[in-house]
Amino acid sequence: MEKIKDALNFRDFSRAEQVGLIVFSIFLLIFPFLGAGSFVKAVMIQFLLFSLFGMGWNTIGGYGGQVELGKAQYVGIGAYTVALLMVWWKLPFWISMPIGVLIAIGYSFMIGYPLFRLKGHYFAIATICTSLVLQDIFVNWKMVGAAKGIELPIHEHPDFLYMQFKSDTYYYYFIMILFYVALFYMNWFRKSRLGYQLRMIKDDEEGAESLGIDARWCKIKAYTIASAFVAVGGGFMAVYNLYIDPYSVMDLDLSIKIALMAMLGGAASLWGPIIGAGFLVPLDRFLGSWLGGQKGLIGVDFMIYAMMIMLVSAYQPRGIWGIIEQFRKRGK
Amino acid sequence: MAFLEVVNIVKDFGGLVANHNISFAIDEGEIVGLIGPNGAGKTTLFNCIVGFHKPDSGKIIFQSKDITGFKPFQTNRIGIGRTFQIMKVTTGMTVLENVMVGAFCRIEDRTKAQKQASAILGYMGLSGMEGAYLNELPIAMQKKVGLARSLATEPNLLMLDEVASGLNHTETEEMVGLLRRINGEKKITLFLIEHIMEMVMSVSQRVIVLDGGEKIAEGLPGEIVKNTDVIKAYLGEKYVKGL
Repeated sequence: MEKIKDALNFRDFSRAEQVGLIVFSIFLLIFPFLGAGSFVKAVMIQFLLFSLFGMGWNTIGGYGGQVELGKAQYVGIGAYTVALLMVWWKLPFWISMPIGVLIAIGYSFMIGYPLFRLKGHYFAIATICTSLVLQDIFVNWKMVGAAKGIELPIHEHPDFLYMQFKSDTYYYYFIMILFYVALFYMNWFRKSRLGYQLRMIKDDEEGAESLGIDARWCKIKAYTIASAFVAVGGGFMAVYNLYIDPYSVMDLDLSIKIALMAMLGGAASLWGPIIGAGFLVPLDRFLGSWLGGQKGLIGVDFMIYAMMIMLVSAYQPRGIWGIIEQFRKRGK
Repeated sequence: MAFLEVVNIVKDFGGLVANHNISFAIDEGEIVGLIGPNGAGKTTLFNCIVGFHKPDSGKIIFQSKDITGFKPFQTNRIGIGRTFQIMKVTTGMTVLENVMVGAFCRIEDRTKAQKQASAILGYMGLSGMEGAYLNELPIAMQKKVGLARSLATEPNLLMLDEVASGLNHTETEEMVGLLRRINGEKKITLFLIEHIMEMVMSVSQRVIVLDGGEKIAEGLPGEIVKNTDVIKAYLGEKYVKGL
């Protein structure tokens, strides 16, 4: 009970933030009726999906302060489990998705245990490597479709069990629900014992250990939570795109995007990943489709994207949310 | 059986022997000071006891349990608290939150941990500081918070590494009073490294002296100040005979 109360309690935020959350929620709720085109709808779904990824990353990367650049492997595990179980045994999404999450949890324990012997840059590099290795295995593994990937069987009629719908609106509401579950969970997490302990570990690991905190175990727990989040998103990607291959769900590019969105928005804050995704997903999409269409300008969008990341990280390492907080402090 | 027993501890950092065959015992309820010139191996000895270093040989026995090779969080959980000489400061965490992390060592529930943390801050005379950010406080104050944080883990033995450095005269006297209260009221055994002689000699019931990685003396504060080896270590050979 106490936990649920904590999850739903946003009272320690300022009035402006509470109002912002309410307005934002109303907008999300009525968005499909605003008559937006399918492109905009797809961007909104991407935004919610990446917010979910970012919030998951925020447990280990933000609160725990461990630069984790291998989240794509868990997106892949989630997506492949859903796709393969559907193709092989016709298992519905609602069974295969939890299985995917469980596999991700088990796998992240296995990986996390040796990985957290490493610290700082070494840890970051190791996370990239494990993700790349898994991707390479899937590229060459014939049984799971190798580099060609897997197509999900398309049902003639919309089917809730297999999460197949004609209209994007259903997918939109489904990912929105997942988004809110994640948001409430994170709201509880930041106030939890583990949340406090991780924040201490981030700044002063020795100090944390001297206060009875098993730093390595705490990090493994946070890493596992993050992986579970991301695997849920991966499962969604499979049923939404109806096609997955190792390049779309396990790429390094995806890992980096997940981490960067959270960092750009503001790591270790509840709103950070949402702001980051709200900023970068549309930018990425609109710039990509606008500049990508013009001859000779392919890749310019990436330059703009990179430039912004450099600027933010040079001037305010705590991201966009850090800039907002700075202005609020000055105003007081 | 002694409360804390250190038996023949040796710690060698690749040729530099920081601790050489150090043995001593501390009884429950005592206040013991650990002094010695810079580089004598005091902090290394602390780190060996709490488990940040693994001693090359020797044994550490706490409450009749062999804790040699325990990890720092394990020694803390069985009741050894410690503070740091140089404290790394958390950013974005308030004083209250820092102490709460200590309280979370024994308490699962957040509201209870918060109550415990506030109580300890009140006990240490830090009420009203709860909302301040640790990195915005002066160093002397940060050390007090470090002490509060450690106290919140409910230790039986508290090891303090230069908790009074940087304090002025009045603050030092307050600290002595506080340490006596912690020892008397909370029944916590204290083991402290300190450079300020006035403080060490007034608060300690017994003093251990290290020099060059070896224990050169141990005894009552009154005996230590007259000990020729100690004078030699601190001032040099020629002062042994007096000025």
